[in-house]
Order: sequence, then structure tokens, then C-alpha cells
Amino acid sequence: MDQRFLDPAILANISGLDLVAKTVVDGFIAGLHRSPDFGFSQEFAEYRAYSVGDDLRHVDWNVFARTERCYLKRYRGETNTLLTVLLDASASMGYTSHGVTKMDYARYLAASLVYLANRQRDAAGLIVFDDEVRNYVRPSTRQGQLARLLHAIDDAEPRARTDFAKPFVQFQEFLKRRGIVAVVSDFFADARRIVKTIEPLRFRGNEVIVFHVLDPEEIRPRLSEPAILVDMETGEQLEVSPEYAAGEYRRRIEAHLERLATEARKAGLDYFLLPTHRPLDAALREYLAIRQGRM
Amino acid sequence: MGFFTPWFLAGLAAAGIPIYFHLLRRHRSVPKPFSSLMFFERTTQSSIKHRRLRYWKLLALRLALLILLALAFAGPYVLEEAFGPGSARRLVVLVIDNSFSMRAEGRLERAKQEARSVLDGLPAGAEVQVAALADRLEFQTLPTSDRGELAAAIDAIQASDARSSYGELARALRAAAETARMPLEVHFFSDLQQSSMPPSFVDLQLAPSTRFLLHPAADDLAPNFAVESVHAPAKIFRQAQAAVQATIAGFGTEAATIPVTLSVNGKRVETLEAQVPANGRATVEFRSFEAAYGFNRCEVSIDAADALADDNRYLFAIERSDPEEALFLHRRRGGRDLVYFRAALEASRNAAFRLQPVEIARAGTIDPARFSVVVLSDPGALPAGLERSLEQYLRLGGGLLIAAGSATARTGRIPVADLPVLEARYASRQGERFFLAGHSDSSHPAVAVENLWDGVKFYLTVGLDPANVRTVTRLAGGGPLLVEKAVGEGRALIFASTFDNVANDFPLHPGFVAFVERTMNYLGGVDTRTSVKRVGDFADLRTSGAQGQVVEVIGPDGRRELSLTEAAAAASFELTRTGFYEFRRPNGRNEMVAVNADRRESSLAVVPEETRRLWENTGEGTVEAGPTGGTNRRPRPLWWYVLLLALAAAVAESLVAARYLAVERGTA
Repeated sequence: MDQRFLDPAILANISGLDLVAKTVVDGFIAGLHRSPDFGFSQEFAEYRAYSVGDDLRHVDWNVFARTERCYLKRYRGETNTLLTVLLDASASMGYTSHGVTKMDYARYLAASLVYLANRQRDAAGLIVFDDEVRNYVRPSTRQGQLARLLHAIDDAEPRARTDFAKPFVQFQEFLKRRGIVAVVSDFFADARRIVKTIEPLRFRGNEVIVFHVLDPEEIRPRLSEPAILVDMETGEQLEVSPEYAAGEYRRRIEAHLERLATEARKAGLDYFLLPTHRPLDAALREYLAIRQGRM
Repeated sequence: MGFFTPWFLAGLAAAGIPIYFHLLRRHRSVPKPFSSLMFFERTTQSSIKHRRLRYWKLLALRLALLILLALAFAGPYVLEEAFGPGSARRLVVLVIDNSFSMRAEGRLERAKQEARSVLDGLPAGAEVQVAALADRLEFQTLPTSDRGELAAAIDAIQASDARSSYGELARALRAAAETARMPLEVHFFSDLQQSSMPPSFVDLQLAPSTRFLLHPAADDLAPNFAVESVHAPAKIFRQAQAAVQATIAGFGTEAATIPVTLSVNGKRVETLEAQVPANGRATVEFRSFEAAYGFNRCEVSIDAADALADDNRYLFAIERSDPEEALFLHRRRGGRDLVYFRAALEASRNAAFRLQPVEIARAGTIDPARFSVVVLSDPGALPAGLERSLEQYLRLGGGLLIAAGSATARTGRIPVADLPVLEARYASRQGERFFLAGHSDSSHPAVAVENLWDGVKFYLTVGLDPANVRTVTRLAGGGPLLVEKAVGEGRALIFASTFDNVANDFPLHPGFVAFVERTMNYLGGVDTRTSVKRVGDFADLRTSGAQGQVVEVIGPDGRRELSLTEAAAAASFELTRTGFYEFRRPNGRNEMVAVNADRRESSLAVVPEETRRLWENTGEGTVEAGPTGGTNRRPRPLWWYVLLLALAAAVAESLVAARYLAVERGTA
């Protein structure tokens, strides 16, 4: 598998989200130096001192015989986790400047995450939201879970407005078990408010990864002449000059990104900016790093 | 302000194009979806307004460019004070006629006196210019208000020998009116000869800003006798040839008997009486007189008490010399060509040449420069040294007659003249039997005789290439029979047959004598030398553009008329005075030319009063009303300035547009 298949522009030509996810994940794994395929292989990982409450089945009795101390023998892939992808499907996610919409990119990312989780035997779930929860697939490792997830991701079409407050209250009900929560959105809202809304997920012991998906034109817009811009969520129109887009707007969006990253780090969230022209392997690597950190 | 071509103002409609592109088209921008406008603010509208303001600068420049172009093509003008009668400032020009006729009865003095009177009557500070008119208008001063300088200039004007031309006066005054940029007031002091008027009265038209005033220096027709012309040979070779005919004319005169005297070299030779009818002409002939060898300064004069004494004598020059030497080069002794040619030459009335026959094989030591004409009779191939010396002789102004027969045809070229021989054409016994001569260029002196070639049969001719030569006579079949080629200062005539009564029977025809005489005179320069010319004529100093050969011109007062540079380079020389001029040429052929005043100056009839009035009115007041409806204002074109402004607008537009382009590139 070639690294170029992680390019979103190439993925856009592949029909079928399952094939997209397989292409991305297999390509990504093939590019790693060591296989991160954890699973149930009995590969030794480390020894850990016994503590009260640990399962005695995992004590290495040979070591105890030699040292008279209880050590637990740990193996890679021994532990499964739970991945929940929160996918923003608001109207603004439909924007694109080069063929791959933010929604497409978010779909590829979500599909790749759940595919990878499925390969890891991790339970994977999905919540699609805009100003409310539009779809929910409960995390599971059952047969057919991957197909359900991919179907739900495929069904997610950008519409309505983003309102983090209302759906995130509902997420509290869905996320009963601890795990990894990946929030995929363009986060067009006040940075402090976004973080305030997402932060409670962290309090329940979840690892929260914030994938900030933006089109390159949204970061560095190019206007050759004054243009009338229409807000895709509100329908509001505004005439914008090239000078403003090249100057003031860039300063504002960069300040927004900086503030969001800072606030997220302060709240213990993992923030990750993903321009839609960037290959997906970086996002997957981030996810695996978080997952490893949990084990 | 107005426009010369106002219909070009329709081009102002083009101003709508940038308006359309800048305003109407800009507002048709298609709304562009964007994910969120949360980072845009209403305040950005101000920046758009600012940008529009800058676009307005571009729009304004483009509009200005188009409007200025339309205006420039429409030809704007403003009316400015022209040289009309209403203008206070004017240039007074005092023109005094100093032509030959002004020598009569103190007319020049009277004209100068009148001019001084006019000058005294002018207001102080008036700008005045003094000019003299003969065959051309010559300004004696620059415009000045210095009365002393002007009076001196008037006094310095002397009568000339030239003929006055009022047409030339009008032309010069029109040019002066253009350059003076102020109205002219012209006072013309003249005897107002009728003979000086141009053929068409239109030629007297003056500029609208010119006020023209005539001051006659003669009251009425003054009777005048003049020696109108003299016919005498320029060159004689025998004493008996020196016959002189003189024509005496009377202008406004009664019938009279006028004594006519011939003087040679200042010595009175003979006096005859001419019976001149009233206002008519009479001719007297001096049959013979003793002319010395060399140039003789001759004069025919009349003894008449008339208005103009200076036209009572007529100068002419006669050169007496032995017949000139002509070299006849032929291939073999006893040839019939020499017999026929010599016989024809000696039979001519004015035998100007003495023929010296030399066989070509023995001609190596002969210097051709000693001869006026060289005849090559079917020479064939010439010895190289002889051909070189003949070429040199030709370049320096010699005359060469070449008869090309079968011997020459065999060599394939005409020697010296370096012409190719295309073929030798023989008339066959079974076919045409002979060729006939066809069209002749009657303007050529050698063949300007009627029926010259009548009945002449040609049995052999050589085919000459007509390129780069002047074809004088053609054969009836179309090929050249006689051609002329100029080489340096000299000329060569090539006859495409022979003189031996074998290749043709031309020597047996009477035209042969005339042909030989005229051809030899033409090549020897005997006919072209005229000993009498008029003041204002030009004498040719050299026939080609070749420079470096000095031609000396000695004037009537015995002084050199040309500087060394002029003597080495000038192609011609203007004869400005009456008297004898000597021309000393590098080839030793000296000439003497007698120059007389134009005899039209002898007629002292004055311009009628009605014509004078019309003439005075050709200036101001006769012009049609200009765009202003008046006569003292004229339009001054402004298109040049408008075009400069348009250019400036185009440059500014380019700079502003380039700046916008830079902004857009920066945003890309």
C-alpha cells in the first residue's frame, strides 16, 4: 500500500466508505516501522508489581518462586478500549475549495478510526450531531458493527447549524463507559465555549481527541476581487474585499485556532488541526498514540 | 473654441465602456458560499468602499483617456488674433525693384527716394525690413526699427542685370507672412513692367494678412530701342564663316533709322543702318569681318537716344580656331570606310574637323587626348594599351564614334564602350535581303535630320544589348542601330554597322554627309557650345557627378567667380551679370560665354491701372471669413496638447492599474 492513498483527494475517487477506510488504515499500518496491531497475541509487554484487586490469574508464578514477590505479566493487546466518534454534520461542513468537502474528509477520518478500532477489537461507536444528536450507534464489538458504523457515517449529510451545547448534554447519557472520544468538527464557535462544552467528557475519564477539520481556504482565503460571501449555516450575506480576507480575516482565524488549541490543552484535551488537503495518517497516528497512552 | 472635425466627438460614447466594466459589471458578482462569516464583520464594508474609491481613480483615468482621444481627433482649436487689419502690430516691408529695367531714366533713384519717404512717414518704433526684387526677393535687413540701418540698406541697393518677376515677389511675400507671425504691410517701389507679370493673375495672390501698396517709379510707357538678339556662330574655322545677324527692336517707338555697329575686341568693325518700323523689329547682317584666333569679344550696339541705354548693346563671343583634329582608327590601309568618311566630312558646310587616319596596329604611341573626336571603324579587338588610353580619354570627356562590323562582332564585344555583341545579323539573299532603319530619336542631335535613313539598306548589322545605353535609332526589325553610352565625362556613339559600303549602302546616300557632320559636331562639342546666354541662366560645369576636376569660371571683371571647393564640386553656375565669362575646363576645352540682360526687360510698358488695383487687393480683405466670421482671427490647433494629455492619462492609468494588479497578486 502506498502512502499516497492517504491523500484525501485520492480517497475522494474511491467509492464505498469501507474501502476508503480499509485503504487508509492498511496503508497507514504498512507505513509504520513496527506493527501496532495489538489484538490478542500473547506478546509480552512488561512486568508490573501486584496490587490489591489484581487478578491472580495474571501473576507470574515462576517469578514469584524465584523472588517471592508477586508480579503481573502483561501482554500487548491484552486490553480493549472503547472509541466513540462524535461527527459534526452541520451545514458548514459542506464547504470545500478543492473538491473534498470538510464533511467528506470528516467521513474518511471517522471511517478510518472505526475501521482501525475494529481491527484492534476495540468497541467503536458513533454519534452524528449538528444542533442536536441526529444518529447514534452504540459502541460494540459485535458482528456487523463496522458495517453499521460505516453506514451511519455515510448517511451523515451536512445540514442545519452547529450548536455544541444541546447535543453535548445528550452525549453524557450515551457515554457511560470510559474510553476514547474523538470529536470531529470545524468548530466555528467561540473557542472558550467549545472547550467548556467538550470538557465534561473528559471528567468521566474519557480521553478526548479534538479533530479540527478546516478547508485550506478557510485558513488562508484567496479573493481576487471583492466578493459576496454567503454563510452556509445562516444564509447571511456579506461583501468582502480581498484586502480584508488577506489581512484581518487571517489574523482572526489564526487567533481563533491558537486560542482553541490553548484552551483545549488547558482542559486536557488533545487538539489536532486537520486541513482537508492533509493526508489522514497524522490523525490516525494521533489516535494510536492516545490509545497506547491509555494502556 | 471649436472643432475642425466635430463628428469625431461621437467617440465620446466610448466612455460608456469603462463605466460599464467598472460599475455595472462589478455589481453582478455571484454570491459565494462560505462556511461561516463569524470572522467577518460589517466593518469590512468600509474597506470595500475604500477599494471602490480607488477603482474610481482608475475609472476616472480611463474616462479621461477616452475623452481626450475623442477630443484630439475632433481637432480642437482656439481663435487667436491673426494677422488682420485690426492688429496693431505689423511688419512693414519696403521692396525696391532693382531689375535691369530700373536702370532707365533714374527709376531706381526715384524708387529709393520714395522708399525713404515712406520710411520717414512710419511711426517711431515700427518694425521695418528692406528687400530688393529682381529675379528673386532678397531681404537686405532683418526686421528692425533702426532708421539709420534701414536708410543705409535702401541706399545700398544697386540696379542688377536680372529680370524682375512679380510672381516670385508674391510667392516670397506669402512665405514671409507665414514666418513673420504678424501682419505684413508691403510697399513695392517698381517701374511695374507689364512683362514682369506672371502668366496667371492668381500667382499674385498674397496672404490674407498682407497689406500691399504699390509705388510706381515710372509714369507711362517710355519709348525704347534695344538690340534684341544676335545670331553668330560660336566657333568659326574659316574667315568666311563669320557672318553676324542682329535684330533691333523698338518698344513703343516711332519708325526710325538706327545706326548699328559691330565691334570686335573693342574695335569698331562696321556700322550699318537698320530701318526699324514703329514699334517693330529690323535685322541687319554683317557679312564678314576679321576674327582673330582664339576668343573674340564681340558687341553689336545701336546709337539711339531712348529710355534704357543699357540694352543698346548686345554681347556675343566668337571663337576662331583651326579645324579640330579627329582621329580615324581603322584596321587596314586603303579601306573604303576612310574614303567615304573623309569625303563626307570634307563635304560639310562648316568643316570643323580635320581627319587623321591611323591604322590600329600602328596607333600604340598616339595620345587620344590631342583629338576632339576618335572614330573606330570596325576595330575588332584593340591592343590593350590603346584600349586603356581610349577609355581614359573617354572618361575625361572625349567623344568616340565606333562602327561595329563583322570583325568587331567576332570578338563578342564593343571595345572601349565595353558593350556585349549579341550576334552578327546577315541579311540573306533568299530571305529579307536587307534590313531597314526604323524609329529614330529625333531629339538626338546626331540624327535630328529628316529622312536621314531613307532608302538605306543594311546587309550586316551587329546585335547590341539595349540595356544601360540610350538607343538613338532602331532597325525596322527592332534591334538597335545607333546607341549612345555615357562614360565618365565623355560619350560614345556605337553604330551597329560599318562605313565601307559593304555592310550597308549608307555612304552612298546624302544622309551620310549630314550624319557624319552632326555626329562629329555632337561628339566634338561644337554644337553644344553656345556663346550667348541671358542673366539668370545656368552654365553646366560638368556633365556627370564626377568631382575633383576643377572648372575655373572667370567673371566679367576678370576675377574667379568660384571658390576652390565650388570649382571642384559645383555642377552648374548661375550667370548673374552681363559681360563675358570664361570657363576653363580640365580637358583644355575652354569656353567664353557672353551674358546679356533678358530683353523682356527692354519693354517698358507698365501694368494697367485696373490691374494694379486688383493686385493691391489680393492681400487683406479678400480672404473668406474664417470660423469666427471675422478676418482678423484665426484658429490655433490644440490637438497636439490634447494628445499629450491623453498620453499622460494613459501612463497614469497604466501605473494605477499595475498597482491594483500587484494587490491582487499579493492576495493570490
